[in-house]
Amino acid sequence: MNTASAFDKPRILRIFTGLVYLFLFVPIAVVVVFSFNSQKSLQVMDGLSFRWYEEFWNDPALRDSLFISIEIALITMVVATIVGTALAIGLVRAHSGASRGANVLMLVPLITPEIVAGISALLIFSQLGIGLSFWTVVLAHITFSISYVTIVVRGRLASIGVEVEEAAQDLGASRWESVRLVLFPALWPAVVAAGLLVFALSFDDFVLSFFTTGEESQPLPVRIWSMIRFGVSPTINAIGTLMMVVSISAVALAVLIPRLFGRRESGVKVLTGAEE
Amino acid sequence: MSDLELNRRQLLAAGAGLALTAYGVSGCTVERPLDRSAAGDIVEPKIDGDLLIYNWAQYMDPQIQKDFAEEHGIRVTEVNFDNLEAMVTKLRAGGAYDLIFPSSEYVKRLKNEQLIRQFDRSKLPNAATLSPFYDNPWYDPDSEFSLPYAYYTTGIAYRTDQGLTMTESWNDLSNPDAEGRIFMLDDFQEGIGQANLINGFYLNTARTEELEVSKETLLMQKEGLRGFSTNSVQTLVSGSAAITQAWNGDVVNARNQVDDPSIFAYETCKEGVPVGTDAMSIPITAKSPGTALMFMDYLLKPSNAYRNVMWNGYPQPVAGGREAFAKLVKDDPSIDVNLEEIADSSMEFRLEDPEARQEWTRIWTEVKA
Amino acid sequence: MDPDLDRGQGLNQSRFWNWFVAPGALWIGLLFAVPLFLVLALSFGHVDDFGRGVYGFEWSNYEAVFDSTYVPVLVRSVTYALITVILCLLIGYPVAYFIARFGGKYRYVLIAALVIPFFVNYLVRTYAWVALLADEGLVNNWLIDLSLTDAPIQMINTPYAVIGGLVYGYIIFMILPLYGSIERMDPSVIEAGKDLYGSPFRTFIHVTLPATQPGILAGCVLVFLPAVGDFVSAQLLGGPDTYMVGNLIQDQFFAASNWPFGSALTVVMMLFLAIWMIFYLRRATRGEADVL
Repeated sequence: MNTASAFDKPRILRIFTGLVYLFLFVPIAVVVVFSFNSQKSLQVMDGLSFRWYEEFWNDPALRDSLFISIEIALITMVVATIVGTALAIGLVRAHSGASRGANVLMLVPLITPEIVAGISALLIFSQLGIGLSFWTVVLAHITFSISYVTIVVRGRLASIGVEVEEAAQDLGASRWESVRLVLFPALWPAVVAAGLLVFALSFDDFVLSFFTTGEESQPLPVRIWSMIRFGVSPTINAIGTLMMVVSISAVALAVLIPRLFGRRESGVKVLTGAEE
Repeated sequence: MSDLELNRRQLLAAGAGLALTAYGVSGCTVERPLDRSAAGDIVEPKIDGDLLIYNWAQYMDPQIQKDFAEEHGIRVTEVNFDNLEAMVTKLRAGGAYDLIFPSSEYVKRLKNEQLIRQFDRSKLPNAATLSPFYDNPWYDPDSEFSLPYAYYTTGIAYRTDQGLTMTESWNDLSNPDAEGRIFMLDDFQEGIGQANLINGFYLNTARTEELEVSKETLLMQKEGLRGFSTNSVQTLVSGSAAITQAWNGDVVNARNQVDDPSIFAYETCKEGVPVGTDAMSIPITAKSPGTALMFMDYLLKPSNAYRNVMWNGYPQPVAGGREAFAKLVKDDPSIDVNLEEIADSSMEFRLEDPEARQEWTRIWTEVKA
Repeated sequence: MDPDLDRGQGLNQSRFWNWFVAPGALWIGLLFAVPLFLVLALSFGHVDDFGRGVYGFEWSNYEAVFDSTYVPVLVRSVTYALITVILCLLIGYPVAYFIARFGGKYRYVLIAALVIPFFVNYLVRTYAWVALLADEGLVNNWLIDLSLTDAPIQMINTPYAVIGGLVYGYIIFMILPLYGSIERMDPSVIEAGKDLYGSPFRTFIHVTLPATQPGILAGCVLVFLPAVGDFVSAQLLGGPDTYMVGNLIQDQFFAASNWPFGSALTVVMMLFLAIWMIFYLRRATRGEADVL
């Protein structure tokens, strides 16, 4: 008997899964659909219009916040990817006790609630006399993102194996050369995937930004928080839809790039760590 | 096991380092010292950059900000707080706002901490029509650090279309008809204050036994609450609130936003009516203090004061504002407040003793938990 | 021994790789671990007359944390988080199972589709629920139109709404690890189990569940830990009786201006969570749980 084929789906499971998908998508549908509502109401859909997108674009503070969020995410992506990839390579290849300690250190941010990360960031910036600003948000985001990169890249490293590098060294390459000329080319799709994942995470982040932001250049989610707290506005739906498009694009790229560049497995596998 | 053994050793070493550091820094405050050098300088009215306003939500007509921005070719942004303590915290953390809106008591506190800037009122032409009471208020002698923005009473706003029996008492906040749809202001002074008044205590009492009694009152009231919120306009307009503790202007603002204004009403309570003044000041961290000062003057212009009052419903003690408010009071006398009541100030929130204030915030945290 | 053929022994090898590890480890150490110690240090402090935090050596904050007023908040947070985990597991497992075992060639599309809602910002998603569940929201309007009820049912500002918000916010962190774990399972083991145990149900209990235990553990941890510290759900969907430790902590830092007390609360919460973290990390390094 071979594996269950597509014809063998138990009814109940299928219906249940469908319901869950419905549950997950209904609020999203509400957000997207009402972002095109021509009226202010959040209950009655009354004709299509782009007015909330225009309101968003015409509000300089909101527009700024969008660009600030993108900038923060880009910088975070670049730095966290470099540092995190190096960390992943080092952790997998080294066998020292210090690297085991570093391994645990790397895992801690992943399972720490963001509020704790936010508070500790706030404290250290206050203590060092660094005023809260665009850069404090960037620093906090990078700190939290390094671990994600390391996890994703490490998964890929595990399946690459040392043999090719060792072969290169046999042929006379130095360790650094073998890393640069052999490992990196094999690794880079995972690196790019991890980077784009970090971009999406940073772009969407709220709690960490909330604790570390200044008041002038606030990332978009922090502005949304103020808008929700202080008033009801359908513009939020437009913003939410826009942000969703940006995030999805980033992750779609993250999934497609490994596939486009000749890897047999899909990017989803790279990201979720499932085996081939 | 060995993976984590190393971790433990590292942890121990770190802990020892921490102990030494803690001993070294004990007594140090966690905040960075602000640059207070500007505190003594007098601000001159001139445009020196974009304007960043830090204010309560829905407290200023946005059109006024837009007009000012257009007239001077600068950008005006408003950021909101919903809590005066939060405002002070952000300020102390170095928040570079240009214009803030503290209440009278907070002006005095910020002045004592040298967190707001001094200016010369006579340089502002529109300040001449301010009510004389504000030439020398108790919280800012000679009015060098603040100008009044609005004054207010605290009462209860409610829906008239839901058959509620209201008794003009603070006990209406536990009205059984509206159970589960009542809001209390998320402000430790307003919350504890009304409980104090119900129990016949002095509004600003610092006595622990009295505060504990008020705490019990609050816990009892909390049972019927739907939430704590200073955004009364929002909770009223969205329909979440049938009854809410509110400031008088909010009922006018809420009425402006619905099709049928008569569904909202406001009452003041016989046990006592807290009053107060909200002022505007320029923090020492301001990047454009000159612009802020010019904006203050702009707000006091009679035509702007008029439309601002019509928009947010609060009396402003300046020409134009007085006229607009008189009009609003004619339609609804319940929102009235006059300056004699403000001058009296026994019904104004004044917690000047830091220990009393900490006692109050502690009680409030316990109530909300 | 020829040094070039030296693979993995000797200090030379480690030193080279340590250069790779150093930047990341230093960054996380300095900007994450050290600040955590600052929080710990401040928790022993007090507040000065101006409301600023001062370092010190007192236990008063911890005494306050375990005061009868605040313990219910801690208990409530843990309770909500536990219920959230259970709900996520009950909802997520069947879905993950279905996609992994019966998705066929649509597996990746299904997983991708599942993840899409989570690219709408958490705040906006939660806000959508507020719009849906409000007294005058879509669901109530719909119920009234269908004559299922006369007056609006209060759905938001309740504990149910908060837990619902938490489930909605974190369920993806349960489904993905579960999916990975189930997918990795060899299907022939299930077939063998069916032969052995007879009923699908017993096969599930005795074969499938234990085999997917690493995924279950990872999912539970990834949901439980952030849920305990969440404050967004309680703030937007909750009422005065749903105050969670995250809200309490946030208040201490922004509203009540009592950073030492807030730090003490944070430390207590972290210690509680650390127990689970260490439990998980041990399992992870021993290979019994999915290494993230």
